Amino acid sequence: MEMYMLPSVITDIIGSQLMIILSFLSLRYTFLLIRKDPDNFLWGFLHYFCITLAIFAISRAVGHMVKQALLISDQKEIWQMLSPLSGGVNTLLMISVAAVTIYYHKGVEGYRAIQKKADSLRRANRRLEEAGTTMKEMNLHLEEMVETRTQDLALSEEKFRNFFHNSKDMVFFCDEAGIILDMNKAGLEMLDYSDKNPPHLSLNHLFSEESGLKDFNTTLTSQRFVEDFEAEFVKKDGSIIYSLLSATALADEKGKLIGCEGIAKDLTRLKTMTSQMISTEKMASVGQMAAGVAHEINTPLGIILGYAQLMKDDFPPESETFENLVVVERQSQACRKIVADLLKFSRQSASSPQDVDIHEILIDVLAIVEHNLHLDHIDIVRCFAEELPVVTGDEEKLRQVFVNLINNAQHAMEDEGGVLTIRTTYLEEEQMITASIIDTGTGIDLNIKNRIFDPFFTTKSVGKGTGLGLSVSYGIIEDHRGTIIVESPVMYENSCQLTPGTAMHIRIPVSEQKKISEEGQNG
Amino acid sequence: MRKYFILPCIVLICCILLPEQSMALQTHSEPEGIYVHQMAHVLYMAALGYLFWDTKRSTFAGQGWVYLRIFCVLTILWNFLAVIGHASSSHLRPEDFTHVNGYLFSKVNMPLTFVKVIYYAAKLDHLLAVPAMLFLYLSLRSFYKDAVKDGDN
Repeated sequence: MEMYMLPSVITDIIGSQLMIILSFLSLRYTFLLIRKDPDNFLWGFLHYFCITLAIFAISRAVGHMVKQALLISDQKEIWQMLSPLSGGVNTLLMISVAAVTIYYHKGVEGYRAIQKKADSLRRANRRLEEAGTTMKEMNLHLEEMVETRTQDLALSEEKFRNFFHNSKDMVFFCDEAGIILDMNKAGLEMLDYSDKNPPHLSLNHLFSEESGLKDFNTTLTSQRFVEDFEAEFVKKDGSIIYSLLSATALADEKGKLIGCEGIAKDLTRLKTMTSQMISTEKMASVGQMAAGVAHEINTPLGIILGYAQLMKDDFPPESETFENLVVVERQSQACRKIVADLLKFSRQSASSPQDVDIHEILIDVLAIVEHNLHLDHIDIVRCFAEELPVVTGDEEKLRQVFVNLINNAQHAMEDEGGVLTIRTTYLEEEQMITASIIDTGTGIDLNIKNRIFDPFFTTKSVGKGTGLGLSVSYGIIEDHRGTIIVESPVMYENSCQLTPGTAMHIRIPVSEQKKISEEGQNG
Repeated sequence: MRKYFILPCIVLICCILLPEQSMALQTHSEPEGIYVHQMAHVLYMAALGYLFWDTKRSTFAGQGWVYLRIFCVLTILWNFLAVIGHASSSHLRPEDFTHVNGYLFSKVNMPLTFVKVIYYAAKLDHLLAVPAMLFLYLSLRSFYKDAVKDGDN
């Protein structure tokens, strides 16, 4: 068996060439790597490593190829001369490769430290990015929330504003001192103030009585709310309105009272109606009682009067007995008049309805009373409507009503005189006529205003009035499906000031025939 | 104090006047070259061993590092083979080879010994060196591809 060296020679030649090719291909990639990322230490190391390796590969491969070429061409002497040089270079390059790797040892530590920091920074950046993303999402969500809340708030604000402005009741806000900060239009209208230039109001101005305000404040402070508090408010003109007030206290974060918000409903109309209903009921009761009493008294009174008149024939006119019988007859007749008035009040007396011209009645009545009025220095002002439809009723009873009212007006002005205004108007839309008896007298005291229609209630001295005039008039007008409205003190036309005096407004519906004829004309 | 000054002066004068005795320049005999070369191989192996160990213990991830470690292993084996080859050649004599028909047809004379076999195997060292370089090339190509991919991301 023989072992030829040829395979090793061929392997050496081809291997050397492949080594050169592969080392340069490797070098190319390290070059690309450091160009792509010049700051990367590892690529730098590999680049230097490959450079050294490539030089080593070239040196060794070239050396081997030269060696093979020289030996093949039988120039062994030349190779023996070059061999130490080639071997020395190879040794040097191997040491260089090792040195580069040792350099790696030191460099990689620094690189690791940097890499560690970089990783830490990368993680921190990633966390920051995640946090940023989360924040962005939250911000986006927050924006949506804010938008939704803003819409809700706008809707709520609109509802509140609508409620505040459109409420028919008074709505107000005030501070801890009771200064009204804001009041809606209905509230200002309730107090007769203009909403265009609202005044500076406070609860002190609003409440008519100090005790009412004190009770309100006490309840508000203790309970933190006030419910259905009946309050009397002062209007711009000084008149009083009755209201039902509910309020809630407003407190700051520490619970300190900083004001209140309140809603007040005007009960004046309701109170007046209630009062009128009570009065009507009372009148009805009194009327029934009066009718019973009058009926029972009327018969024996007639007998007393009849017997007194019969007995007068039995005694001479100059005798004392005759004179006594005259007194009995006169007083009995006075009693009969009272009984007749009571019957009229209770509508027990017969009535004959017909078309009545109120102007004619007023002219007749004024003709009778004018002289007496002049004696008391009372001037008469006639403000008659140009056209006043007839009403259906009892002319005699209506005449009595106007006599009663004018008498009362004269009584109110008899000391200092004054002006008696008789005004008639036709309310076409309501199909009512109004006859007003207005005096400039002393007016009706607020305390007795609700009692003036009570039977036997009078402010006149004993013997001057029975107290049945107004109650009888009330009954008559009610019998005519009308109303009597009392206004005292009176707000005269074209004047913003209240003037002492009384106005009695009688409203009676116009005749049905008049209505029919008008409807026929319109149709 | 004085003796500390005189003694160094005498040594210095002797070194200047009697250079042969001071052995200032060391002569380098013939085997030194092969020793240095062998030590360079050992140093090379040690460096690659360290590189292998360090890249393995590191957190460097990717196929490129695996290829690099294969390169290290193959190159260490090549160095080892080269060291053995150099060592074996020093034990062979010109009579162990025959160059009858020129260098290309030279052959190892019989009988075959262990040293001769080792020498012959060491002559085929490119069978280790070329694959080692191939793995280095693959490793660097893999690094580059990963870098490009990371850059795109």
